[in-house]
Amino acid sequence: MLSANNLTGKGRIANGMYVIIVGCGRVGAQLAKLLSAEGHDVVVIDKLRESFIRLGDTFNGLTMVGNGFDLALLKQVGVEKSDAFCAVTNGDNTNLISAQVAKKIFRVPKVIARVYDPQRAHIYAALGLDIMSGTMLLSAMLRDKIIESRFSSYLIESKDLGVIEIEVKDNLAGKTIQDINIPGDLIVVALRRMQVVSIPETRTVLKNKDILMGVVKVSSLKEIREKFQLGEK
Amino acid sequence: MYILIVGAGKVGYFLAKRLCQGRHTVSIVDKDHQTCEEIAKELKALVINGDACDPKILEEAGIMRADVLAAVTGDDEDNLIICQLAKEKFNLQRTVGRVNNPDNEYTFNELGIDVPVDSTKIIAKIIEEEVSFSDFVNLMSFKRGKLAIVRVDLPTDAPVINKQIKEIDLPKDAVLVSILRGEEVILPKGDTVLKSGDDVIALTLIGNEPQLLHLLAGKL
Repeated sequence: MLSANNLTGKGRIANGMYVIIVGCGRVGAQLAKLLSAEGHDVVVIDKLRESFIRLGDTFNGLTMVGNGFDLALLKQVGVEKSDAFCAVTNGDNTNLISAQVAKKIFRVPKVIARVYDPQRAHIYAALGLDIMSGTMLLSAMLRDKIIESRFSSYLIESKDLGVIEIEVKDNLAGKTIQDINIPGDLIVVALRRMQVVSIPETRTVLKNKDILMGVVKVSSLKEIREKFQLGEK
Repeated sequence: MYILIVGAGKVGYFLAKRLCQGRHTVSIVDKDHQTCEEIAKELKALVINGDACDPKILEEAGIMRADVLAAVTGDDEDNLIICQLAKEKFNLQRTVGRVNNPDNEYTFNELGIDVPVDSTKIIAKIIEEEVSFSDFVNLMSFKRGKLAIVRVDLPTDAPVINKQIKEIDLPKDAVLVSILRGEEVILPKGDTVLKSGDDVIALTLIGNEPQLLHLLAGKL
């Protein structure tokens, strides 16, 4: 039986995550290499052994040939102990099913599925799955590049500065934007309430399930997470 | 009833054909253009060429009016997603999904498909029954494996031979459904007498199978 504990790579870090990636195409392989290089434990599953060539020689995670929603295989790689599960094969349906298996059967805390088809992305996002649609993201970004009328997070994000999303739960509900802002470290720039996104005023009072978007100093990220009890993302 | 079938392979085609003969309204969706043309010529069904994972195609096939959707393609992922779309997006009450790989049956159940039909397992069971010389065969399980129809072939030394059914102390929650004697099918009554070589079909809770076998055939 394999588990997160005996997959310890050479660069293992203290708060490392155990991540399962299904699909070793360009995105899956790149993601696996990124996470592995940062010292996280990574397992990559793909139907074809040849796909693992993309990982190169330096990848020190585990590779498994098989199907991303094969219950026996997932148990074998210790899915119950994993912190995150990411389905990025080139098949929308495979990704959607793998993600649901990880989330509903194995209760993996963080599950993400890549979905090309925007329609299916919308439907399954509404059902509570965490969906990344490359089609939607990339086309929106390209649009912004062409029209140049908007700022996107990628224009702001740098080594020192990042964009953070804060979901309002009980501990923040009732507070105002002013209570959240930390001069020099964090400033809230947008508020999503239901499906409406607005620029909040400093005295705007927060409600449960609001999503705040803030610009944050990367060096203060850890303290901010702790302050707002955001947990590891 | 309005029945929407996805997948016009052998299973989908024969299902559509049978349902068309009854007084049902049938629509059928398949990805393959040529398959669709052939079926449209032969059956009185609405035939839509397209990928049923696309909600628009399901709408074209009349999902808003449908009572049941049966996804019977050869691809488990497609079948599962199509059933989920039908339930979650179109609020269809009843979805039947074909399971090609028996390993996926549990997943179909867990992800909310009303009736997963595991064709591979069913066929394997029938073949197993035909090739095995065992005198006890589980013909079918229901209710997620709680209830089963079983066949017990009475050996010559079975303790129930020449006994009337009412003399047999059947386990609780088991009933004899029929007796196959040569070409004859007998519906058992209290005074029916069991003979050597009879095949007894019984409906039983799975837990009572060993007891039933012991009682009828005299072994465990």
